[in-house]
Amino acid sequence: MTKDFVKFENVYKRYKMGEVTITAANGVTFSVDEGEFAVVVGLSGAGKTTVLNILGGIDSCDEGKIIVGGKDISHLNKHDLASYRRYDIGFVFQFYNLIPNLTAKENVELATQICNDYLDADTVLDSVGLSERKNNFPSQLSGGEQQRVSIARALAKKPKLLLCDEPTGALDYNTGKNILKLLQTKCIEDGMTVILITHNSAITPMANRVINMRSGKVISNVINPNPLPIDQIEW
Amino acid sequence: MKEKGNQKKALRKNILREISRTKSRFISIFAIIGISVGFFTGVKSACPSMIETAERYFDDNYLMDFSLISTIGFDDNDIDEIKKLDFVEDIMPSYMADMIVTEGDVDNVARVIALSDNKSKINIPMIKEGTIPQNDGECLIEKYYAKLAGKKIGDTIKFNSQDSSMLKNTEYKIVGIADSPIYVSYSRGNTNIGNGSISFYILVRPDEFSSERYTRVFIRTKASQSNFSAFSDEYKNMIQDESDILEELSFDCINRFNSETLYDAQQKLNDAKREFSEKKSEALQKISDGEKQLTQGEKELNEKIADGQKQLDDGQKEIDKLKQDLINARNEYDNKLSNAERNLNYARTKFENKSDEYNKMKSEYDSRIKNVQKDIDNAKKEFQQKHDIFYRQTKPLFEQQLDSLQSKIDFLNAQTEIAENSIRRKKSLGLDTQKLERQIREYQQNILQYQKQYDNLSDEFSDYEQEFINAENLFKSTEQELENEKSNLSEKLRNARNQLDSAELKLAECQAEYNNISSTGNFDVKMLETEITIGEKKIRQGREKLETEKQKAIEQLNSAKEEFENGKKEADEQLSSAEKELSDAQDKIDKLQNAEWYIYDREDNPGYSGLVEDAQRVDNIAKVFPLFFLIVASLVCLTTMSRMVEERRTETGTLKALGYSDRDISLKYLIYGSTAGLGGCIVGGIFGVTTLPKIIVDTYGIMYMLPETKIVVSQADFFISSIVAVMCICLVAFIACRSDLKLNPATLMRPKAPKPGKRILLEYITPIWKNMSFTSKVTARNLFRYKARFLMTVIGVAGCTALIVAGFGLRDSITVIGDLQYVDISRYEQVYALSDSGTSRQKQDIISKFRNDERFDTAMLSYMGWSSDTNSKKSNISLSARIVIGESYDDFKKMFTLRDRLTHTPIALDDNSVVIDERMSNVLKIKKGNTVGITIDNIPYNCTVSGITENYAGNFIYMTPQFYKNITGNEIKYNVIVTDVAEQYENSQHDIANDYMKDDDIITVSLISEQVEAIMSTLDSLNIVTFVMIFCAGLLAVVVLYNLTNINIAERVREIATIKVLGFYSLETANYIYRENIILTFFGAVGGLFLGSLFTGFIVQSIQMNNVMFPHIVRPMSYVWGFVLTFVFSMLVNFIMYFKMNKISMVESLKSIE
Repeated sequence: MTKDFVKFENVYKRYKMGEVTITAANGVTFSVDEGEFAVVVGLSGAGKTTVLNILGGIDSCDEGKIIVGGKDISHLNKHDLASYRRYDIGFVFQFYNLIPNLTAKENVELATQICNDYLDADTVLDSVGLSERKNNFPSQLSGGEQQRVSIARALAKKPKLLLCDEPTGALDYNTGKNILKLLQTKCIEDGMTVILITHNSAITPMANRVINMRSGKVISNVINPNPLPIDQIEW
Repeated sequence: MKEKGNQKKALRKNILREISRTKSRFISIFAIIGISVGFFTGVKSACPSMIETAERYFDDNYLMDFSLISTIGFDDNDIDEIKKLDFVEDIMPSYMADMIVTEGDVDNVARVIALSDNKSKINIPMIKEGTIPQNDGECLIEKYYAKLAGKKIGDTIKFNSQDSSMLKNTEYKIVGIADSPIYVSYSRGNTNIGNGSISFYILVRPDEFSSERYTRVFIRTKASQSNFSAFSDEYKNMIQDESDILEELSFDCINRFNSETLYDAQQKLNDAKREFSEKKSEALQKISDGEKQLTQGEKELNEKIADGQKQLDDGQKEIDKLKQDLINARNEYDNKLSNAERNLNYARTKFENKSDEYNKMKSEYDSRIKNVQKDIDNAKKEFQQKHDIFYRQTKPLFEQQLDSLQSKIDFLNAQTEIAENSIRRKKSLGLDTQKLERQIREYQQNILQYQKQYDNLSDEFSDYEQEFINAENLFKSTEQELENEKSNLSEKLRNARNQLDSAELKLAECQAEYNNISSTGNFDVKMLETEITIGEKKIRQGREKLETEKQKAIEQLNSAKEEFENGKKEADEQLSSAEKELSDAQDKIDKLQNAEWYIYDREDNPGYSGLVEDAQRVDNIAKVFPLFFLIVASLVCLTTMSRMVEERRTETGTLKALGYSDRDISLKYLIYGSTAGLGGCIVGGIFGVTTLPKIIVDTYGIMYMLPETKIVVSQADFFISSIVAVMCICLVAFIACRSDLKLNPATLMRPKAPKPGKRILLEYITPIWKNMSFTSKVTARNLFRYKARFLMTVIGVAGCTALIVAGFGLRDSITVIGDLQYVDISRYEQVYALSDSGTSRQKQDIISKFRNDERFDTAMLSYMGWSSDTNSKKSNISLSARIVIGESYDDFKKMFTLRDRLTHTPIALDDNSVVIDERMSNVLKIKKGNTVGITIDNIPYNCTVSGITENYAGNFIYMTPQFYKNITGNEIKYNVIVTDVAEQYENSQHDIANDYMKDDDIITVSLISEQVEAIMSTLDSLNIVTFVMIFCAGLLAVVVLYNLTNINIAERVREIATIKVLGFYSLETANYIYRENIILTFFGAVGGLFLGSLFTGFIVQSIQMNNVMFPHIVRPMSYVWGFVLTFVFSMLVNFIMYFKMNKISMVESLKSIE
């Protein structure tokens, strides 16, 4: 397991809103090892999402260095960033972002059809427990099921890194727990590196690593030697 | 009240902000309305602008209402009579003459028109440059020709002075350049001189004309003074009534002329005729006497010539004999020479063979001798080696060894001797000699040994010596042998050389013999030849002498003949000129007897009626567009407004929750829509009205000579189209927000569930669905997901394609007329108008002249007249149609195609009915078997129609001469000759026309090719309409596609952001949307091709005139253009959209659903 698989070094990101400049990332520095389940916690506006966007290649930083799997992604051009997202990153959104006009299976295929090395859509959907609902449209699925499709879509690409932006934010307690369990299982069984951002610090015990952010800065980066299975966490 | 004001204020602010925030949406509604209204109003204004421009021109320049021409001219009595008519406002007696102007080798016909005098103000020319003529010999020239021929002020126009009786001068100085309102187009009409068509006109002062009778009368009447437009039916009706009155007046005037002037003239002429016939018989007697004398002289001359000829022939015979001798001598010489030549060749061949043989032998033997020599040298070398070894090594070695042995022996012998001596001395001394004796024995023994050795060695040496001698002997014998062989070979070679030399000698002998024969024989032949040459020269001289004498005699005879011919011709000329004078005088009287007035109104001015027709044609095209544009505009607005209402759903909910009334909320959308619409109407209207009419009228202006275009805005069209457009948009806005307003605020504030995905029909057709690629499945499902947009885009694109196809199709349909009408249907090329006075006998003479002219394939006597009032019971329209009657039905069929348009089945003419053209049948609603009312010479007749024939330009009624006789009771009077020029003379039609124009019986010639050109140039200008249509189609396509793609992208921002996050590259993302656009464009374009064809048909129908039918033809290339251009426009939109799509931020995908 590579140490410092993901590494942020002094990353700055500033947004200009009229005459006001907001510094969303103010010298962020942290690292995550390969195979770890890392949770980034912090209040709204702490800069979590900015970090995730930059890490996921959908936004760029103004200063600093970001290394993912030995590759510096901070200065990639548009096309290379797209390739990076295509081959290296799996993204799970808060609002699932499924294409409403495609069935569950087709949503997964939408991702795999542009990859060279990918998992079979049926297999992935089986593995997230959606064998029965492959041919349903998103509107026919519950929130939890939709998020599972979203995870399956991210996993099917065989990404190096799975990024989850508040994956349980729009789900009820139990469904959310199931989703977190699925992510934890994928991390433990497949050795997937997972970075999850949340404002809910109650779920931090399940992580290998907890990164705490405030005002665009990392205020702590703690390794949790004994992560708890999600079933044992209540909040 | 105050509160209410504030409330409204907030709402107003909201609307203003909405507009500034959604500029592109506002602009797209603005644009589509602007294009529709602008285009419609613009094109609609073209016709009134053109008519207004023309009308003002005519009014300002006092264009006449009537122009009268009489075959006998007019006098002051006639003018006074006309003046008395109550509708006559102004009258101007005037003059006109057609003159030939020769420039370079081209003859042009100029029409000379008198300017208005001081007493009246009619047809005032528009002076472009210079001044009106003030003095004698000055003229104004028309602007177009001045430019064309490079005439400037100060140049002169010079007439051929043959017939200058009409004018005082033959040369006119140009003092100004002007346009007369009589001529609005480039057509100048026909004449009866030159090539039959007028090239240009000049204007001169009326006192330039020396004619005592006026040739023309211009009249302005109450009709043009009234408030009615000169193009209105009211004006036309007034003119018709006035024309009838003028016609009645004309009969009175002509009767007066006949009874007063003509009677005297006929009396005088009869006296002159009598005198002439007496003088004629006297002259004829003289001529026949002279003829007899001439015949006698010619006979004598011929006899003398025959004598001389015989003498020469004898000399010739002698020469011929010599020539035979020469041939014999030459043959003999040739034989001998060829024998010698044969010998020579034989000897040469032989020598050459021998020479070859010898050379071959020599080279072979030389090499052999060389080889032998080499052997000798080798043997010598070998022997030399042996020799050297023996003398240098063996022999000295042995001699040395032998010498050393000898010396040893000698020494021993000496020792022995010494020892013996010693013995002897010892003995003598009695000393013991034993020792010495033993020594001597020892010596002796040694000597013996050495001696033996010496002998052995000596033997050995002699062996060697013997061997060497043997070798020497062998070498010598070998050398001898080889030398012998060598000399033997040389001997043989020498023999061969001798043989060769003898062959060469023989060759030289043969050559000498040949040269001898060749030179002596040739000399004999030359002698004979010289003899013949001398003989022949003598004969030639004799012949020349004879010829000169003969020539002299013939010259004398000819001059006598010429003298006679001249005398005869002179007499003939005098006679015939006298005869012609008499017949001319008779003709003049005859012509004057059938005097007639021709009453022309403005419509008869060349180009006048075309102007109105052109204007109306543009107007008709404009009629087609509004509905179509309105539909598309409404659809575009509907989608745009629906989208906007949907986006503002939460806002609507909030406003509702705050207690705003439905009216207030919907007002926002109504105001938004109507502002955009109204803005579009105003801007589009202003733009359309200022550009389009000018473009269109200026384009037509190329064909018409009109002053600066005056733009008349068709206000009614502008207001109606604007009101309809704004109402449409308000209705659309109302429909769009009505459904939302029905819901309660709570529902509205919840986000609207995205449209759920649905299986499409195609998925149930498993074989197809399974074989489709993933992306095409996605595209297919998306297409059916947004049905409204699907439909919209397809309709919009179809409209675009249809417009383009219609634009091209319109051009196709129009341009094809020339070919169809003048190649397929009317196959004749020239029409010669015959003078009225000719009898049917004279006409037969003329037609046989045509028939004997190889330049014509066919020529036929025909009748072409006008049925001024052609009508039917089913329609209240009256047409004027041309009646065509051919003398011979066979010839008729060659030049007029009567056939069904669709099936091309020929239609036959019979003696009981008429055949009419298709356009007439449509306008008058006449079917086969119905009755058509026609008018011949003001008498109406009813005729059964037995066929409807394909025809495009003009209205025609075809009948047989027998039918004519049956209905009118009169024998037909043919008035034209219709001809079909043979193919190889097609290009010299003008020359042919010129030739026949010299004939007095032919008045004018019209060339069909010139008519075709004139018609086609009018119709060609419809090209501008094509381009306007294509331009609008492009705008339409771009606006529709831009708008819809814009909405498509706006609605799917989240989806696009998501696939970008998934790692789609820019182009892949764009294709995700474009694929739909391309497929929709394809469907639209295909639909548009059909629609375009229908559309073309519709336009073609609506631009038809009463006498012109357009075929509905769309060439394949036009479809291709429609299809390709549509795709070009679609690609253009896709290209613009690419940047927009690139700008979508992926962060969008993370935002919560609105």
